[in-house]
Order: sequence, then C-alpha cells, then structure tokens
Amino acid sequence: MRRFLLRLVFVLTLPAILLAVWWAASDSSTDVYWPPLRTILKTFPDVWTVERLRTDAVPSILRLSAGYATAALVGVALGTVIGSYRRVRAVCEPVLEFLRAVPPPVLVPVIMLFAGIGHTMKILVIAIGCVWPILLNTVEGVRAVDSVMAETARSYGVTGLARLRHVVLPSASPQIFAGLRQALSIGIILMVISEMFAASNGLGFTVVQFQRGFAIPDMWTGILVLGLLGFLLSVVFQLVERRVLGWYHGLRATTRRSR
Amino acid sequence: MTFVKGQGMLDVRGLKKVYEGSGRRVEAVRDLTFTVDAGELVCLVGPSGCGKTTLLKCMGGLLTPTAGEVLLQGERVTGPPPGMAFVFQEYGRSLFPWMRVGENVELPLKQKGLSRSRRRELVADALRSVGLADAAGAYPWQLSGGMQQRVAIARALAYEPQVLLMDEPFAAVDAQTRADLEDLVRGLWRERGITILFVTHDIDEAVYLGERVVVLSASPTVVQEQLKVDLPDDRDQLHTRVAPRFAELRTHVYEQIQAAKRGTPRDAPEDAVKTDAPPPA
Repeated sequence: MRRFLLRLVFVLTLPAILLAVWWAASDSSTDVYWPPLRTILKTFPDVWTVERLRTDAVPSILRLSAGYATAALVGVALGTVIGSYRRVRAVCEPVLEFLRAVPPPVLVPVIMLFAGIGHTMKILVIAIGCVWPILLNTVEGVRAVDSVMAETARSYGVTGLARLRHVVLPSASPQIFAGLRQALSIGIILMVISEMFAASNGLGFTVVQFQRGFAIPDMWTGILVLGLLGFLLSVVFQLVERRVLGWYHGLRATTRRSR
Repeated sequence: MTFVKGQGMLDVRGLKKVYEGSGRRVEAVRDLTFTVDAGELVCLVGPSGCGKTTLLKCMGGLLTPTAGEVLLQGERVTGPPPGMAFVFQEYGRSLFPWMRVGENVELPLKQKGLSRSRRRELVADALRSVGLADAAGAYPWQLSGGMQQRVAIARALAYEPQVLLMDEPFAAVDAQTRADLEDLVRGLWRERGITILFVTHDIDEAVYLGERVVVLSASPTVVQEQLKVDLPDDRDQLHTRVAPRFAELRTHVYEQIQAAKRGTPRDAPEDAVKTDAPPPA
C-alpha cells in the first residue's frame, strides 16, 4: 500500500507542477488566444456535457476503433504472409518502404474523392495510416522466429495453422505490439485530422468549430480532452500488453538478472 | 509393420551432406553408414565441428541428405517422422517461452490428435519421470538450465517415440547437473526401452552412457570406428568412472579422436570428390 502511494506520488508530481506553472503563467493573461487556465477549467464542465460527449467524443472513438482494428487485422495478416515467404518479401519490400514514407494526412483529400466525407473516409484514413507500423513490425517479428524453435516445431510435427498460432505469432508478438503501440498514436492524430477536413461531428471537428467561432477557452478544453483521451488509450494499451506479453517481460527480466 | 527386436531400428546408409551457397561448397558429411538396433543406446562422438549436428538433423528429417538415406524401421525418412523425438542442445531456444512447462510438453501431443485425457496422462507421466511433477505451471525461463533440459526431455518422452535423438543435450549445463542428467537418461532408457542416439563431444560422457560408441572422423565425416562398451548395465557416476575398463575404453576413444583430428581416417575412401577441405595428411 505504501509502495503504491509512493508510486502515485511519483506519477502525479510532474503533471501537478506543469499545471501549476501553466496556471501561474497564464493567470494574469489578457491575451484572447492564451486565456488563463482558470478560465479554461471553468469552461470545461459547460462545454463537455454528457450530451456533447455522446455526440462528439463517441463517434470519434468509434471511428478510431474501427480504423485501428482494421489496420491491426490487415497489418498482422499481410505481415505474416510477407514475413513467412522470402520471395514475397523481396517483391513487396521496396513498395512497402515507399508507401510507408507517404505521410498519411496527405491521403485525406485523395480518399475524400472516392470515399466521400462520411464515416468510411475517416475510418479508411485511420486504417491506412495505422497499418504501416503494424505491418512492418509483423514482417520483422515473423521473420525473426528463432531457428531452433522453428526446428523444434517441425520435428514435433507442429506445422501449418498450429505452427502459426502456437509458434510464429506468439514469437512475433513483442514486435507486433511495438507496431500496435506506434499505430495507436498515429491513429489518434489521423482521427483528429480527418475530422478537421470534413465532418459534422467528432473531437477534431469540435476543436476547429470553436476556433472558427473564436470560442478560444472552449477550443483549449477540446485540446485537453484530446490529450486525456490519448493518455487513457495508452493506459488501456499498456494493461492489455502487460497481460498478453507477460511471458516476454518475465523472460527479459530473467535474462537481465542472469547477466 | 512388424518389427523384430535386434534388427536395425535406424539405418544410415551412405549418408552424404554437402552445403552449397554463395560460391562455397562445404562437404560436411562424406559417407556414413551405421545401424542402431532397437532398444540400443548409441553415442556418437567426434572432434568438434565434425558434422555431428548435420548428421543428426539428416536423421531426424530436418535436413535432406545430398546422397544416401536414413531408414527408420525400414522406411525411408523424408521429413520429421512421428516416431522420432529430438532433444536440442539449446534448451533455452527449444522450449517456447510463451507456454508454461505443461503446455510445452502437451503441444506436440495436440498435433498428434490425442484426446485431452490421454494428453494429460502423458504430460503428467513424462514430467514425473524427469522429476518435475510440480513444475507444469511454471514458465521455462523460471527454471534453471538443467531443469529446462529436463522439460525438453519430458516433451520428447511424452511424444512416445521409438527413437530419441539427442544433440549434445548437456553441453550447456554445469558438471554436477550434467552428471544427474546423464543418470536420468540412462535410467529412462533402461526403464522405457526406447532407442537413443546420443551425440556428444565429451568422450567420458559417450563411454559412460553408451552401449556402443560410434567415433566419427573430422569433417568431411566418415565413421572412424565403432566400439562396443562392455561395461555392466548398472552404472553410476562414482564407481563406473573409476573402473579400469572405463579408463581403457575412454583412452581408446580419445586416441581415435586424436587420430581423427590429425586427419588419418582408417577407412576413408580416397575418392575423387572435390572439396575445400585440405587433403588428408
């Protein structure tokens, strides 16, 4: 219990200091674009009512989830195929490197042309942006399956789907999760950007709306909400990762100790 | 297929393996012929780098020989046969770290399509016979090196193979653990009557464990000598290793290996195979 409290203190100290500095520095501000934190926090409950969370935050999160899930599925599936076959890899790798280098936000106008400005467009933008780190990390992870493990599986008749499920994917999972983690932050960025271009609801849309209407404190609250959302998602991600990759962290801790 | 005990369980005939790649041609194994009888425990020794692992992988169906063949109970080995189990030297890389010990032992049995109750029975029995009855719920990396290799042995036992191939299984554990594991293998062999082919670079280990020792030459490998170990069946670390006969046998094997290292194979065919290796002196 004491250790938990101590950790909590460690975690909260820096955010508290930063908020205090922000509060103090902005307290006497009369700049319209840089309102005091006091004002922003006072506006917060008025802006982010349950109703607004339902109409703006929920659609954003749903679109993010749909795009992210699609990217995860496609990325892992394609990555496994590409990583498993040397020939396929040789053919695909240059193209993948090029496609990955294209900044995803630039795709928004293009995708708007054929997918319209509805949900599909935004989900597509998120999925296309998120898929690269997942795909490339899966390729690397699948490729790096230990030779002795592969031989063990083969000599015991663990082949085909069983090999994929029990050997290849678990062995690649640390890499896959590294990709998923990168993809998550990209996904949040693209969620906001896609809503800034053309949307009728969503967090990104709301922030732009406030800015255009010169509701500056309200705009700042939107930014805070986005920050909190990102933080929350990363906490959830960590919890999932700790569960799925428990073996990996344990293994690494053991190898570190024995060295 | 009926099988008469005493006949060749495992036949290696004219086995040859040449690795080719990036302009280099390495003849790892030149021409190996030997037989392992059913229920026998045979040790293969040879100077380091003599292609022992290559040979074992060819026998286990993990590598395709360039020429010659391996027969398991008279049937040609083309891929890993269900009647063979492998124990690798690198236990840390051979056990799956994302599976608990019990799951590691069970996975090959699932592939065999055994029922859940039968699997549970086999796993418990195998873990018990290597002295790890309580470890089923642990992860391999929570165990010591010797215990991990025991798990690998348990996995092989649960697979119920006719032939157990062991590739320098104790090369990476400390001396005391090693002695325990040697006794474990001999005990299991006597108890279960499986055929074991044990590859090692340790001469003492080969003589202590084996009913027969096959001495291999330096690469490109041929059989340098086959030696029957006429020590009593009951062996123990304390007495067997100081027995005069043990000393004679190990001296003999040692001399053979030295001869093999110097490159004076007794019966290597002087054929016209082109190799990168220096010609025998």
